[in-house]
Amino acid sequence: MTSAIPRLVVRRLSKRFGALTANDDISLTINPGELHCLLGENGAGKSTFSACLYGLLQPDAGEIEIDGVPVELTSPARAIASGVGMVHQHFVLVPSFTVLENIVVGTGSDLRLDMAAARARILELSRGFGLELSPEHLVADLSVGEKQWVEIVKALYLGASLLILDEPTAVLTPQESERLFAVIAQLKAAGISVILITHKMNEVMRSDRVSVLRKGKLVGTVRTADVTRDDLTMMMVGRPVAQVRARAMEVRGDAALRIEGITLAKGDRTYLSGIDLELAAGEILGIAGVAGNGQDELLEAIAGLAKPDRGRILLLGEDLQGLSVHDIARRGVGYVPSDRFRDGLISEFTIAENLILGQQWDRRWRSGPFLDEAATVRRARDAIRDFSIMASGSEMVAGKLSGGNAQKIILAREFDKARHLLLCNQPTRGVDIGVIEFVHREILRKREEGSAILLVSEELEDIFALSDRIAVMFRGEIMGVFPGKSADIAKIGPLMAGHRAEAAA
Amino acid sequence: MRLAERAGFRLEARSEISARGRIAAVAASLAAAIILCAILFLAVGVNPVAAFQSLIQGAFGTWRAATETLVKATPLIFTGLATAVAFRARLWNIGAEGQVFAGAMFAYWCQSALPGTSPFLQLSVIIVAAMIGGALYAGLAAILKISFRVDEVISTVMLNYIIVYALSLLLLKGPWSEAGGFFEQTAKVDPGSILPVLLGGTRLHLGFVVALVAAALAWIMIKRTPVGYEIRAAGSNLRALEVQGSDSRRVILMVLLISGALAGLAGMSEVYGVHYRLKAGAISTYGYTGIIVAILGQLNPLGVVIAAILFGALVNGATFMQIKTGVPSALIYAIEAIILLFYLAGWAASSFRLRRIRP
Repeated sequence: MTSAIPRLVVRRLSKRFGALTANDDISLTINPGELHCLLGENGAGKSTFSACLYGLLQPDAGEIEIDGVPVELTSPARAIASGVGMVHQHFVLVPSFTVLENIVVGTGSDLRLDMAAARARILELSRGFGLELSPEHLVADLSVGEKQWVEIVKALYLGASLLILDEPTAVLTPQESERLFAVIAQLKAAGISVILITHKMNEVMRSDRVSVLRKGKLVGTVRTADVTRDDLTMMMVGRPVAQVRARAMEVRGDAALRIEGITLAKGDRTYLSGIDLELAAGEILGIAGVAGNGQDELLEAIAGLAKPDRGRILLLGEDLQGLSVHDIARRGVGYVPSDRFRDGLISEFTIAENLILGQQWDRRWRSGPFLDEAATVRRARDAIRDFSIMASGSEMVAGKLSGGNAQKIILAREFDKARHLLLCNQPTRGVDIGVIEFVHREILRKREEGSAILLVSEELEDIFALSDRIAVMFRGEIMGVFPGKSADIAKIGPLMAGHRAEAAA
Repeated sequence: MRLAERAGFRLEARSEISARGRIAAVAASLAAAIILCAILFLAVGVNPVAAFQSLIQGAFGTWRAATETLVKATPLIFTGLATAVAFRARLWNIGAEGQVFAGAMFAYWCQSALPGTSPFLQLSVIIVAAMIGGALYAGLAAILKISFRVDEVISTVMLNYIIVYALSLLLLKGPWSEAGGFFEQTAKVDPGSILPVLLGGTRLHLGFVVALVAAALAWIMIKRTPVGYEIRAAGSNLRALEVQGSDSRRVILMVLLISGALAGLAGMSEVYGVHYRLKAGAISTYGYTGIIVAILGQLNPLGVVIAAILFGALVNGATFMQIKTGVPSALIYAIEAIILLFYLAGWAASSFRLRRIRP
């Protein structure tokens, strides 16, 4: 990085959406062959910034130079012509086309397309960067990782010297992620610059430099070798983030929730087979397992959304069989669903309206035949304050909130309901580090209030940090239950893959 | 898209849509609709200026014409509201037509049992019975949907056919046929059951007031009550409503009952306010036009009233225009459709902007 002309220079770039400033006066430089990480919480402006670089959005102010030449990126076509390539989180490929067809589609400026030449070029590119792609394969037959390679090769085929990767590992297995970083190393060696958008710290630490965005502003650009993870988290969140860890607590009283041999099958598929569990008041039972092994169905059965074929579910000794979802909720059960915008929120409704979802007939929110707007707005203001929801006010529409803030609305509503039992499914999925810490703290606070908590998460960090006991689920069965303190990945990993615990505690 | 880019422009979605921009876009598209209508008039050899003049004159030119426009708008307000309430909940009730018939028939059946009783009793009975009749008929579609997952579009359209023929049967050979009459219609109803005329020398009747009250109540219901909350929630994300403990079957039933009740009032209003007898001609097509009215009115009760009056004016003015200029009245249906399409196009267009990019 000596006298070379920078690959990309951005000067004082700003982009506004109405009252919101998504990018505020951002300047940065990217060198040839550099892996530059763009780090920030959801809504910090990473996507807006990369959309400006790829010509999807036009900045309101600022200049962009590529290889020393000022450019106006008014469309992706112009960005591509200037040497910018982008691999989106959701691939833009035609499944019924071959790899070759997907790469050349839309590239010919001429009427004729030299397929043979294109094929040769693609093979050369993929071999050169260590990608095993066969141009004749149908994209529909490729794995997720291979589809990503097609996207990368397509960008290179179009002449990219600056490649933007938007959360590329979000869809990859750990092994595929490793391969991706090997490819990135090859790209760097060839002088191609890579902008990596991510919020996974271990990936950030592999970059050359990091630019941290917060609330649309550039907090700073640092050399990765000079900083620690904590430094970066601090820059990103704006305050130190503590590791929340459950204190050992005396579990009191009888079982708040007792599940006796519940079995649930739909069609010829068995989702739950003979599950027995017991959960005391003030106890967190974490359920570990690969997604789709019956965790969703277990929580849905308890919440009353699915009717088990056999077995009993007892809440404080009362059989929940035959009770409606509403009846169960009224008995003090809160349910945080995993897919928040599908199951938990109405995106066109305001925060105030979402906070009473399912309770719209409740006396608390009614005056006579009408909804008591004063009461619901008051409730919304309290929730916005208590859960530090970043919103313009109680009348803001839920669909405009970031994932973390949307999740907080659900938490506010369900924690309020969960006097006795809280069912949490993936409470930290897709939310920022700062919010994860917040969610952990709130769950522990709920436990200290004496609620029994059933926590399902694919993030083992959630499970280890919070659980008093950990149960592992595989194909609708409980493979073993451990005390939280004694559990570690070595013990739980094999059970998640279907091996039964030898001597489960 | 490509073409626009070659010319140096690009279509972009607006992140925020101003009310002013929207009004401008809709006004422009309505102007375009009028120009297209003018071309149609020219095509049939009529001077468009004269045609539009007579249309407006026929709709609003005199006191009587203006009240007549409101008379024509009255059933459309009811059916527009019926459609708006259902569509708000994403329940595609195409059956307002049949529910109008059901309302009229049930009202007639109940009222015909009370000849000579006090007007207050008879009027109360026809209003309540019309709502019940329409609601029950829409309820059939709701039950089919809840119990057998029959798509409401299919069931409501089929139910429309059934009831039209059922009425025909009752009038032709059945107990309701007018003694000694040739036509498929009942005898005149008891004078005590007629909706009173509001203004002397006009046909504007109590039904119009009932329609305005219904619109106001529908607006309050949608905006301010738990029922309206559920209607709006169902329209946006029924699943979330269900996961949070509201029974979606109850919501579907409730919405269709309300929708049917509103449609039923249209039948009552035409039979007892305008024609004073029950016949298919008195009550048909309002259900279908109500769909257009509801969409033009943005599924908003107040918008529905405005759109219904616009359509009432169109229907009313058209008769006059036909007499004065000889335009075929079928052209009016074309005009209705043109207005709807241009309006929708204008509305959609206002969500985008054309941005100058360098060619």
